[in-house]
Amino acid sequence: MTFMGGSPPSASSPSLLRMSRIAKSFGPNRVLREVDFELKAGEVHVLAGENGAGKSTLIRILGGALAADNGMIAIEGGPVRFRRPRDAADRGIAVIHQELSLVGSMSIADNLLLGREPGRLGWVDRAARAARARGVLERVGLRLDPDEPVSALPISSQQLVEIAKALSLGARIIVMDEPTSALSEPEVRRLFARIADLKAQGCGIIYITHRLEEIYALADRITVLRDGRVVASRPAGELPVGELVRLMVGRSIGDQAPRRAAAAGTVRLDLRRCRVRGEGAGRRPIVEDAALQVRSGEILGLVGLEGSGVSELLWAMFGALGKRAEVEMEIDGQTRRMSSPRAAIAAGIALVTNDRRRSGLVLSMDVVENATLAALPRFSPLGRLRRREEIEHTARTAGQLNLRCASLRQRVATLSGGNQQKVVLAKWMATHPRVLLLDDPTRGVDVGAKHEIYLLMNEWSRQGCGIILSSSEWPELLQVSDRIMVMHRGRVAASFRGGQATAADLLRAAMGHAIHE
Amino acid sequence: MQHNTARYMLSLAATAIVCLAGCKKTPSDATDGSSSGQADGFAAAKATYTIGMSQCNLGEPWRVQMNDDVRRAAEAHPELKMIFKDAQNDTLKQRAHVEEFIGAGVDLIIISPKEAQPLTEPVAKAMEAGIPVIVLDRRVIGDNYTCFIGADNRLIGREAGEWIVSALGGKGNVVELKGLMTSTPGQDRHSGFREAIKDSQINIIFEADMKWLEPDARKEMESALSRFDQIDLVYAHNDPGAHGAWLAANAAGREGQIRFVGIDALPHEGVLYVKEGILDATFQYPTGGAEAIDAALKILRGESVPKEITLGSRVFTKENVEAGGEPIG
Amino acid sequence: MNDGRPDQHESIGALERSAASRLRAFLSSPSATALLALGLVLAIGVAFSGDGAFHKWATHRDALRQASVYGILACGMTFVIITAGIDLSVGSVLALVAVMFSTLSIHEAWPPWLAVPACLALGGACGAASGLVVAKWRIQPFIVTLAMMVFARGLAKTLSGGMKVSTAVQLPDGSWTAAPVPGIFRLIDSRLLGDNISVVSLVFLACIALSWVILSRLRWGRYLYAIGGNEEAARLSGVPVAAMKVMAYALAGVFAAVAGLCQAAQEQQGDPEAGLGYELTAIAIVVIGGTSLMGGRGGIGLTLLGTLIIGYLDKILSVNAVPEASRLMLTGVIIIAAVLVQRRKD
Repeated sequence: MTFMGGSPPSASSPSLLRMSRIAKSFGPNRVLREVDFELKAGEVHVLAGENGAGKSTLIRILGGALAADNGMIAIEGGPVRFRRPRDAADRGIAVIHQELSLVGSMSIADNLLLGREPGRLGWVDRAARAARARGVLERVGLRLDPDEPVSALPISSQQLVEIAKALSLGARIIVMDEPTSALSEPEVRRLFARIADLKAQGCGIIYITHRLEEIYALADRITVLRDGRVVASRPAGELPVGELVRLMVGRSIGDQAPRRAAAAGTVRLDLRRCRVRGEGAGRRPIVEDAALQVRSGEILGLVGLEGSGVSELLWAMFGALGKRAEVEMEIDGQTRRMSSPRAAIAAGIALVTNDRRRSGLVLSMDVVENATLAALPRFSPLGRLRRREEIEHTARTAGQLNLRCASLRQRVATLSGGNQQKVVLAKWMATHPRVLLLDDPTRGVDVGAKHEIYLLMNEWSRQGCGIILSSSEWPELLQVSDRIMVMHRGRVAASFRGGQATAADLLRAAMGHAIHE
Repeated sequence: MQHNTARYMLSLAATAIVCLAGCKKTPSDATDGSSSGQADGFAAAKATYTIGMSQCNLGEPWRVQMNDDVRRAAEAHPELKMIFKDAQNDTLKQRAHVEEFIGAGVDLIIISPKEAQPLTEPVAKAMEAGIPVIVLDRRVIGDNYTCFIGADNRLIGREAGEWIVSALGGKGNVVELKGLMTSTPGQDRHSGFREAIKDSQINIIFEADMKWLEPDARKEMESALSRFDQIDLVYAHNDPGAHGAWLAANAAGREGQIRFVGIDALPHEGVLYVKEGILDATFQYPTGGAEAIDAALKILRGESVPKEITLGSRVFTKENVEAGGEPIG
Repeated sequence: MNDGRPDQHESIGALERSAASRLRAFLSSPSATALLALGLVLAIGVAFSGDGAFHKWATHRDALRQASVYGILACGMTFVIITAGIDLSVGSVLALVAVMFSTLSIHEAWPPWLAVPACLALGGACGAASGLVVAKWRIQPFIVTLAMMVFARGLAKTLSGGMKVSTAVQLPDGSWTAAPVPGIFRLIDSRLLGDNISVVSLVFLACIALSWVILSRLRWGRYLYAIGGNEEAARLSGVPVAAMKVMAYALAGVFAAVAGLCQAAQEQQGDPEAGLGYELTAIAIVVIGGTSLMGGRGGIGLTLLGTLIIGYLDKILSVNAVPEASRLMLTGVIIIAAVLVQRRKD
């Protein structure tokens, strides 16, 4: 990929946007601390950082979706105050999200001119509307029939339509959050050409991506965020790849993940092939021909940035994606078809999802009911619930997990995040799994509970479980994993032996940089 | 996306089923009468008349009876060919019926309208097109029709009241179970009855709206029974209501002390209840079906008919039920 | 009475809750508020007793009998609502079964041991059909059961020829005579225990008991709560979501059939127009009891309380001969008041 932009803006280019000393906390959690950020006209400014570095919070504040606790925003020199997203849009800021905001069933023209149809007294002048819509599309180089429904367009064109809409609303500051995550290579090139046009028209672009090659293909300037702070902001030419990666990961690694003696045995799970289709027509597959093996007693780390397909791979192995996934897999040497989670559980697989409130727990039920849900047949021979056994099992497991609750009959909705996660783990302990799939099990969990979760994993692997662990906390993952595989755009891009890789190695591979084991 | 389309198609199919279930009746009803019509055409090819009959709602047994009466009377005249339509309690459907009849060029229309106002104009259009219209049971506004045939609910209520006064010897405790008081028949059956008992010593100790429904009548009667120890007679605005009241009294073991009077006297309902000794009396609310065919024949032959035909009622009691009741009024 | 699950407070460590906090928890539970609402309704009954009619046992016996058909429908509705669904077809299925039961018992002379299971199977089949469409094709329960509501009503009218199926029989000469009322009708509409309780009420209480066993004592019940609480989490825990949904709707159909049997026996006929609007009363009962329309929360004990609240309300208005128009307004106000009392803080 080559750089396609016009000439980079000079230092004297006018400042479009200046954010100064922006701070934001969620409860005790300080997400942004005194962040300064500047965008010039005709500039592509890449915002880089790991998951959780504070990029999206900063963007939401800029887009008016979130109010900063402190700090100032100025547009073309004048201070502004956004109370809602509409205020930001009125001042020429457009945020193009990964999830597009177009109404799929409506026509392109309807989407472009929603609420601003030409005509009067409610009568729409169709000819004038089509002409105006065509004019708007021209600005992003699209030649389309404005009466076509948006849902009929490929995702890349939908993105351009959204950009066109932003331009027609007078946007000069365009934020693109992972715009290429769903695009194929030719579509990515097309998008980059349009970005070059936008620069030439004097727009400023804030670009967020997890792909190194995109950063260097597009960026005029790079700002690196880490733990809510700006650690560097330099012209792209003055920030080599190695330096960038070091700045992104360079945080101290806590001793939260205890080390254990590895004792890998026979192959527990052998994933021959896995492919997951994208949702909707024309989208690229989310997982393509992934293959992996886990041995009994082994912890396999699985790493990828957002959109890499890690979660989808785990769900597919658990039979939870239905017909979207094609999976060929053996467990303990036996071929098993994963047609449903029910079948997967019967085959000895357990999945801890990365969102316990949405897919892990039934919040309206109590601790006991959640803890026995996945193994209920065992507690109800002939269909009749043996409540005493349920309670005994839960009490025993709760003891092992050091679960803190006022009563086992307490609704799990009222528990803390760490304790909720322990209930999820208790649920899977009841099924006696042979293979454990853990998708970011320590997300949103306090330090103490995190430590206990890792101890439990060690215990499980000592008992002969094969464990696949995905985590956004890479330093910890590096400590507990025997092997680590890195995924990039739906494929296994690299694999490392535990203790040999560094966070920087993982990040480079996850961002699609050439890999050498 | 594909999933959404499939879902959309399925809900569309579900909606279609709902609609079809709602519409299905019309065509089958239309063919109902035509089988006899074809035979007629064979017998008297020259003087065949087609009569369109629009019924507002065949969900009510009384209206089913009306159609039966019309059909039976028409079968006696081979020159008549009947087309029946059921508006399923939908005013606009019934309006469409009249328009369809005009389009088909029938010789005469019989309509039992659901409501007066919305059907007045379609009836007038038929008259303009030269098609005579007989209006049955419920009226349209004005006088742009050929003939109205109907019974008088107020009169029937009064007759029932007078019968009750004499049966109770002028005094006693009566429970009145009313039909829907927002409907004209309910109001008339109520006010006619009250007029008749005005000067007697009859006490209405309990009155409730049972919405023409048997289970509701039973429910209200149970309340009356638990509240009053002395009930002499129940006057219900229809026979199912009277029957529901009897079921309640029967369950309380008090049916022997109470008399039951109903209205409508359908052969398989009220009249049968009288035969079984459940009701003491029922007053016929005639459908006018046979009278409508009589009038239709006269009109088609060019004879004159009165603008208004008020139907007489009959009372059925234990004494006269085997003899087919007695005319009153 | 609690929300269908006995309150065994097994706690770990030394965190046994104090008696006071347990009492506080109970007072804020849906069972307590439903009991409070029932108490209020009964107090209204005492204040407006209809010349003392409210103080006679017969009035209460009748109130329970009259509420029983609604209550039986509400039992089935409870299963469906716990899965976060809704079943609008129960009133029509009631009519369909009433017509079929009357036809079989009066005119076809089927013995009860054949007619009753056949009717229950018919109701169950209607429910299972709705459930299958809801579960397999993921169409909103509202529209599916609306379709079933219209379809079953149409089928009832077709089977009955649009007429009530009563004991009236037409003789060859065109006159009418009455066939005997079947013994099973008389049995269902009789009273036991010295005339003090109706068989219909006992049927209702049996339905409550059966529902309680399924919801609180069987694995199936737990699965229903899990599906209503969080369908995705339930699926990922290996709960057979589709099969359980089919079962919930099938149960609603079977209970509607039981209600249809009771309706036919009490009317001594099968009316194809029976049960119009009963589905709304059944939903109101479930919601007034405190079972959440969002699914996952509630229980059959609450439905029992809801049935009593609605039943007594109806009875009190009837005993006092309140005019129809005022009844409708009062019922509307009281339903809203009861639901407001039930509103959860979380």
